[in-house]
Amino acid sequence: MQKQLKLVTLLIFVVGLLVVLNNSTFRMPGNQQNYEPIQPIDFSHRLHAGEMDIPCQYCHYGASQSRHAGIPATSVCMNCHKYVSATKEDYQLEEKEAVSEGREMKPITSIEISKLYAAMGYDSHGNPIKDKEGKSVEWIKVHNIPDFVFFSHKPHITAGVDCADCHGDVSSMERIKQTEDLSMGWCLDCHRKDHELLEATPERTQLLLDCATCHY
Amino acid sequence: MPKEKKYRMNQIETAPTEAIVGPSDLETTLTEWNRRDFLKTAGFSLAAFMTACSKTPVNKAIPFLIQPEEVIPGKAYWYASTSHACGSGCGILVKNRDSRPIKLEGNPEHPMSQGGLCPVCQASVIELYDSKRLFNPMISGEKVTWDKLNTNVVQGFRKSRKNGQHIVILTETITSSSTKYYIQKFLKKYSNSKHIEYDPISYSAILDAHEINYGKRILPQYHFEKADMILSLDADFLGTWISPTQYTKDYRKNRSLDADHISKHVQIESRVSITGAKADKRYAKSVSEIFQLAQDIEHALQSNNGHGLGLELANELKQHKGRSLVVSGINDLSIQILVNRINNALNNVNTTVNLRSSSNQKNGSDIAVSQLLSEMKSGQIGTLIIDGVNPVYDLPEGDQFSQWMKSIPTTIAFSQKETETTSQCNTICPSPHYLESWSDDEYTSGILSMTQPAIQGLSDTRTLRKSVASWAGIENDERNLVRNYWKKIYSTRKKGSQSFNRWWDNLVHDGFVSVKLTSKALKPFKHGTLSNNNWNDGLTLTTYSSIQMLDGRHSENPWLQEMPDPIMKLTWDNVACISQLKANELNLNQGDIIKLSSNNTSVELPIYIQEGQHNDVVAVALGYGREGTQRFKDIGPDWIQKKDTLGENELVGERITQLLSRQEGNIAFSGISVSITPTGKKADLALTQTYNTLANPENTAPPSMKVRPFIQETTFDEYKKDPSSGAHHGHQVVTLWKDDHPYEKHHWGMAIDLGACTGCSACVISCQVENNVPVVGKDEVFRRRDMAWMRIDRYYSGEGDDIDVAFQPMMCQHCDNSPCEPVCPVLATVHSSEGLNQQVYNRCVGTRFCANNCPYKVRRFNWFDYAHNDELENMVLNPDVTVRSRGVMEKCSMCIQRIQEAKIEAKAKGIPLADGDIKLACQQSCPADAITFGDLNDPESDISKLVEDPRHYHVLEELNARPTVGYLTMVRNREEEKGGNHHG
Repeated sequence: MQKQLKLVTLLIFVVGLLVVLNNSTFRMPGNQQNYEPIQPIDFSHRLHAGEMDIPCQYCHYGASQSRHAGIPATSVCMNCHKYVSATKEDYQLEEKEAVSEGREMKPITSIEISKLYAAMGYDSHGNPIKDKEGKSVEWIKVHNIPDFVFFSHKPHITAGVDCADCHGDVSSMERIKQTEDLSMGWCLDCHRKDHELLEATPERTQLLLDCATCHY
Repeated sequence: MPKEKKYRMNQIETAPTEAIVGPSDLETTLTEWNRRDFLKTAGFSLAAFMTACSKTPVNKAIPFLIQPEEVIPGKAYWYASTSHACGSGCGILVKNRDSRPIKLEGNPEHPMSQGGLCPVCQASVIELYDSKRLFNPMISGEKVTWDKLNTNVVQGFRKSRKNGQHIVILTETITSSSTKYYIQKFLKKYSNSKHIEYDPISYSAILDAHEINYGKRILPQYHFEKADMILSLDADFLGTWISPTQYTKDYRKNRSLDADHISKHVQIESRVSITGAKADKRYAKSVSEIFQLAQDIEHALQSNNGHGLGLELANELKQHKGRSLVVSGINDLSIQILVNRINNALNNVNTTVNLRSSSNQKNGSDIAVSQLLSEMKSGQIGTLIIDGVNPVYDLPEGDQFSQWMKSIPTTIAFSQKETETTSQCNTICPSPHYLESWSDDEYTSGILSMTQPAIQGLSDTRTLRKSVASWAGIENDERNLVRNYWKKIYSTRKKGSQSFNRWWDNLVHDGFVSVKLTSKALKPFKHGTLSNNNWNDGLTLTTYSSIQMLDGRHSENPWLQEMPDPIMKLTWDNVACISQLKANELNLNQGDIIKLSSNNTSVELPIYIQEGQHNDVVAVALGYGREGTQRFKDIGPDWIQKKDTLGENELVGERITQLLSRQEGNIAFSGISVSITPTGKKADLALTQTYNTLANPENTAPPSMKVRPFIQETTFDEYKKDPSSGAHHGHQVVTLWKDDHPYEKHHWGMAIDLGACTGCSACVISCQVENNVPVVGKDEVFRRRDMAWMRIDRYYSGEGDDIDVAFQPMMCQHCDNSPCEPVCPVLATVHSSEGLNQQVYNRCVGTRFCANNCPYKVRRFNWFDYAHNDELENMVLNPDVTVRSRGVMEKCSMCIQRIQEAKIEAKAKGIPLADGDIKLACQQSCPADAITFGDLNDPESDISKLVEDPRHYHVLEELNARPTVGYLTMVRNREEEKGGNHHG
């Protein structure tokens, strides 16, 4: 009886281990490092933040004032995309064709930007449709913080922490990806470091090791 | 040597024994560990392991479509507005997070409330998110559009006119001048109509008395800050009477211990109120005795002779001529005339009793309502429009009212919720919560308070103002109805020379503006005649509006239902309070259900034995037994031994108004002759001070520690001689603790002035709202599992009906040598570098060792996952504070989220934190400014100065826990023999 029992336990353990290992990436619960979901619109940070060099806080305007950096409202996208409806290459192509065919240039809209127009309730050329209401784009949230943790962007921006320190080199990412594991150990790595190099903080960050800095 | 005084928790300890017995039927024997059990467990652990490894669910981030100007997600915005919850019209600041109001705080600049806010107003924010609100206009139970409703109603008006019947608008006191204006327009259009105002808790007699004495029906504004001698005849002015927050603020102004003299407050009352608890001298008298006393005082003032207490008080009042104040909360014309005569004889008019800029907070007339009743009886009413009142419940004649209503062809009710009255009406107009509406109110003449919406309307509602205007032919939106009215008249009332737009913008921004007074011609003082000499002796009933429930309009507010009564410490019930002597005489014990009978009607209520209660008075709180409280049937966690929150009547508490009677038309709330018959039944009372007490158990306490010196008290004269008088000295503490907490940056501390605290419990509700403290229901409170982070302990001293009551707010003391910290096996409660005792929820495994080791008994354990199922109601949760889950310990965090926010803000601005930048929720709401919080490391801060104050002491100092929360000795202004040095 005893022997059988031991055997069964071992069997269950081995099977369990196999299943877990088969699940390729073993990680602690809640750890979503390298999470890179497909977004409803193929928005490229490489193009906007990298090539165009738009400052992060143009779109994520909450970061310096609030807990949340914020996902920009669709109307913020429209600040530029009222005029920009396709890639430079597509425009050049259309221009070439128009010249060769000896006609006026047609308005063109890329597939991804037409999704943006649809969200605003506009037609495919970015003109408002009467009485049509828009619907916000439902982005997939990438950087999730565990429960019971209060994180605020504001003091980090105040302290001069670079966005890339936590979010990785966003300006080279075609699709946004979580580069760090956002675990408590990872937070503390930084909070424990000597931060004399940080410009805006005269005192050392070491004082911020109290539990209640983040947990309340 | 002054008499020694000892404060005790309670004379009658009624600890429920049943509640501490474990659930015996749940016991399982785990001695046999067989194969099946093993496999089950192994399989379960595997499943759990697998679940833990699976991917976290996909979260969506949905931004705004159109970016609203200046709105940043996660940032709080504050709007100035006015509270309409308790009727006193305090100025508020509405904290708005992501477009929804989550917290109300007193507007510090508002001239009336001056930053304080009563518990009822604090709690009223949850009523906005009540999913049982009326959401659609209805006719005979069917949903209709407003247009349909209006056509229907106007047809009703025409029919009434044709039949020669009256149209009556029955409302509570209307303070909005624009609403009054549109009602006048309506009355003009329908000539057979009239407007009647009444207040469920009536102040009619005061108004009528002024009409007799001064020729004008007004309610004066009382200036407690100018009074050196206050005599209150059963007026609970620090609790519920007219404008308690304003009065508390004012009352405190003349009690600064730095001054040469402070006001003296004598309270004569038939029950035990918080005002009585605060008084320098309190006398228990029945209503007939109070009437006699008022006559004696008047006589003594005029003839300079008399006897007994009357003469004594008259002499004291005379010493403070022009700087004394006599008020009475008894709704009786004769007593109010006597009060007016006394104030007049003392030259108090226009010093402490302000008739020029009078109060508009109450304007109801009981006599007008009794006339309406007789008109209803004889079928003269064709249309009845009701707003803000619930006559079927409020009036003593409620049952008849509901009968007579049936014969009225058109009955229209404006209400936020279904009430006893709306269910009798054929047309129902849902009205908005005050946080979603516009209003202009002049609660006191000369101060115009603005109410602006802090959220888009959650349902299809309209105010009485809009409907009445539209029935009178004026169509406009809610904002413009108010704005256009003021545009028309502002030139006659404005002060200064601003343009209207500027004036309006400032008004909306500040929440109030000072305006010119409209002239009120008063006639010279007339003596008046006293008509009422018919006072009941023997056992009489005193009904009162409790701090939680007032007239019952907030009975569906779970926070207020679970707020312990400041004196009784009772939740979820109303009871019949009698004295110990009376109980002995009738052979009754606490919790015995009795039948209280008067005028052929009776009510069954449990007995509560109240110390200090007059022997011939039964005191019962109004506002209970409301329809709609059935909703609390299932409140609290669902588990096998759960018991019902409701009583036998399927409601919370019992309605008492049917026992009231009328004296000369005015409703008599007290002095009603009653009889008591035992029923033999027993009820469980959910009291909060039967447990978690700091008192030593009688049988285990060492002789010197039978009564611990929680409350230190002295008299003003003693204090002037020796500021440390009353202090408890002498504990030589030997410490084994190392001083290993340097507190380099900040060291947070708090001091609570027991002399200021009135026990009003505003802080308790404020804490609950701020920190997402759950409501647990009556049964859980009874089982000693209430979750309040902040409680107010009440202590008695004295014997019989001559007692003193003291209040002591108690919350986590954030001890420097915290006894809870070393016992935690998982380091879930640890000390911060700023002197706070931190509770880390995600580390806590729920051993409860810390709660066991806490001498102050302030830790609360989550026995369950408390319900957060109502999605609308969850809108009220503070997103800055975790909603704790089952199995973790929690307690006061010193509003760490506020400290963090202020620190982040200061850092962003690049300036150091200044004293007063951080205001904790309890501190901010306190109408008495009893709570001070700050940095002990800053020698210039208020808190550092208070710690050095000779009045400062710590509770249970002898334990060497070194709390950072300290208390200041209570100072009463009385003769020495009553006060003194109180050692434990």
